[in-house]
Amino acid sequence: MSKPLLTLEKVSKTYMLGKREVPALSNLDLQVNKGEFVSIMGPSGSGKTTLLNMLGCLDKPTSGTLLLSDVDVTKMPEKDLYKIRLNKIGFVFQTFNLLPYLNARENVELPMEGKFTSKTGRKQRASELLGMVGLSGRERHRPQRLSAGEQQRVSIARALANDPAIILADEPTGNLDSKNKYEIVKLLANLNINQGTTIIMVTHDGQVAAQTERMLFLSDGKITREKQGRHVAKKKYTCPHCEGKIAPGDERCPSCKKKL
Amino acid sequence: MGVITRAVRNISRRKMRALLVIIALGFSLAIMISIPAGVIANQESALGLTENLGSTITETQATINQTLTQIDCTIGSSFEGFGFAAPDQSVPSGFDFTPPDGGDGSGFTPGQFGNGTGAPGQFGGGAFGGGGTTAMNETFYNDINSTLDGVAAVVPTLEVSEGTEEEMEMMGRTFTTLSVDYVIEGIPLTSEIVDNYPVLPTDIVDGRNLQAGDSGVVLLSENNTLFFNAEVGDTIEILDETFEVIGVYSSSGVESTTTLYMNLSDAQSLTNNTGYITTLTVFAESSDVVTDVATEINDLHPELTVTTGQERLEQLESLQSTYETALEEAEASLSQTQSTAFQEVVVAVAATSLIVLFVMLYTVRERTKEIGTLKAIGFSNWTVMSQFMLEGVMLSLIAGVVGIAIASLAAPTLSGLLLPTVSQQVSTFGGARMATTNPGATSTATTAISLTPELILIALGAAVLLGALGSLYPAWRASRTRPAEAMRYE
Ligand SMILES: Nc1ncnc2c1ncn2[C@@H]1O[C@H](COP(=O)(O)OP(=O)(O)OP(=O)(O)O)[C@@H](O)[C@H]1O
Ligand SMILES: [Mg+2]
Repeated sequence: MSKPLLTLEKVSKTYMLGKREVPALSNLDLQVNKGEFVSIMGPSGSGKTTLLNMLGCLDKPTSGTLLLSDVDVTKMPEKDLYKIRLNKIGFVFQTFNLLPYLNARENVELPMEGKFTSKTGRKQRASELLGMVGLSGRERHRPQRLSAGEQQRVSIARALANDPAIILADEPTGNLDSKNKYEIVKLLANLNINQGTTIIMVTHDGQVAAQTERMLFLSDGKITREKQGRHVAKKKYTCPHCEGKIAPGDERCPSCKKKL
Repeated sequence: MGVITRAVRNISRRKMRALLVIIALGFSLAIMISIPAGVIANQESALGLTENLGSTITETQATINQTLTQIDCTIGSSFEGFGFAAPDQSVPSGFDFTPPDGGDGSGFTPGQFGNGTGAPGQFGGGAFGGGGTTAMNETFYNDINSTLDGVAAVVPTLEVSEGTEEEMEMMGRTFTTLSVDYVIEGIPLTSEIVDNYPVLPTDIVDGRNLQAGDSGVVLLSENNTLFFNAEVGDTIEILDETFEVIGVYSSSGVESTTTLYMNLSDAQSLTNNTGYITTLTVFAESSDVVTDVATEINDLHPELTVTTGQERLEQLESLQSTYETALEEAEASLSQTQSTAFQEVVVAVAATSLIVLFVMLYTVRERTKEIGTLKAIGFSNWTVMSQFMLEGVMLSLIAGVVGIAIASLAAPTLSGLLLPTVSQQVSTFGGARMATTNPGATSTATTAISLTPELILIALGAAVLLGALGSLYPAWRASRTRPAEAMRYE
């Protein structure tokens, strides 16, 4: 249907620990289409973060090619690569990684500085984004005065600042309690539906992964299994239980009252 | 949200650390300012000292040159040398000369005779032949000028000490002593003598010097003004006669000078010594013939005690060598100060940039994950680098302001601690002697340190420069942080 946004061909990554080689990814092939909501699961050390680093151009593969919108980013020098990170990619981290000495709005404004957006333009967009993640009125709070869930919302707002093509999230719910966990997943799901943002999310949590569209299973640096998640149905606006009509924000099916 | 605000907020994140670092940097920068300020002050004081010494040496040289041709002739008197008669010092009264009865002044031809004071006040020449000198008839020695070769001028002078006579019993005998209040020095005030020979003090501090033809006026020393309680323009009574004070000369050359100068004939009539003098000062035509002239005078008048400038010359020369040593000392210690100062400034400069270097390196290490995050969200190497450079410069600049504050309070203390105390050395060595020549010389000993606007600007410039220098490597390290560091757990 849609054309691939990301294409990985035989991507391998081997870390060097002294003289010892540590293989993290081996000959991995993957295509992600525009607008997909993907989750990556797998045991610890299977290479999930490594894969996300490759996708986000934070690190380069040892071999193989990575095409982002048909451009081979593995051959790009650092002086061009930062522009990809700036304009095409938004990152959400497990530990939020907000700058503690900046307030919520200033944290969200940060990526916009690289685009020379006007000061007022930055402020306005940051406030809008914070409103979108449900944090209006919290603009001037520093991270230590926000709850973990709120901090992760600020982090998502920051990832959205430059209107990226892809959002990459490494265990975004890993440090959250179950209530906040589902709120964040719902936020991401709505982003995906309403804005068409491509989202790739690493998670340990099967429940969380089940909320996505496409579940990938990684082990020993290879994708070993793939499964459809419930988000597929949501995208079609039909209830997976009774096939009745649903709205993107619904938690329960209006017809059969079952949990979505 | 500018880079500058971010730099300031980052600095204030760790308040205690920032405070310590700023104090350390501040002291380092304060030292950097205080030392040059101290050197400048030292330089100025040494320069003043050098100038004083230089002019003193020139003056001494001039006096030596004048003295070279000078011969003093007195009768039956002990040579008083450089003993400056202190005002309250008791001088044995050799003053029982008889006032001249048949003495007439016919033989005195102005221009032929001169006066006999030594070099002007500075070296106490005025005291030459003072005290216990016997009076002699001024016409008696006319032949010195008329018969001897190599004589340029003969200057007759009369010197009479005035004071209170006191009787003193010692070992069964009674001595008469004189407590001197002032010394009257009569100088023949003719233009040939006054204009050509060093017979009057040169160091006039008020009014004017005596001139050819002056009469009824006196030139007082500063000490005399205290005794007579008079200043220029006042009239004073000397031995019941009135004189106008025409000028005052400095007593600083010889602290105890109590000699007042007047016309020779005034002095003679005032002291009942008409036709009498106490000293004949003979000026030879050149220094080469001084010894010959002295011998001839002695042959002609064996009763005269003839003193050439030789002894005085030796005194003056040793004084001059003292001045020269002081000058060398001053120059040597100044250059030592400069090299010490240079080394200390180098250390302070190195310390400043090293402090910035280590603090910023530590900061960069500590904030690796944060820097990784910045790079992951799209910061360029250049932006990260300039962010950290700015942070280092800001830190150093704040410290620069603190340093200026410290320096403005403690610059003299700091430079006193860190610099050899040049001016003190020189002043105790040379300055004490200098004081006799130039009262200003002592005041140069105190080092006045001032922070000029230039120094303050230089200090801020140095703070910025050294801050940039010190944070160059840490900032470069920061810019090289791998963006994947953002993913690290801690
Ligand atoms: N910088 C590195 N240097 C050396 N080895 C590394 C480095 N980063 C990851 N590895 C190794 O590569 C392998 C894959 O690591 P990765 O972090 O991608 O796993 P992960 O699936 O994200 O694990 P987890 O679920 O614990 O986060 C592991 O064996 C890890 O030890
Ligand atoms: Mg991981």
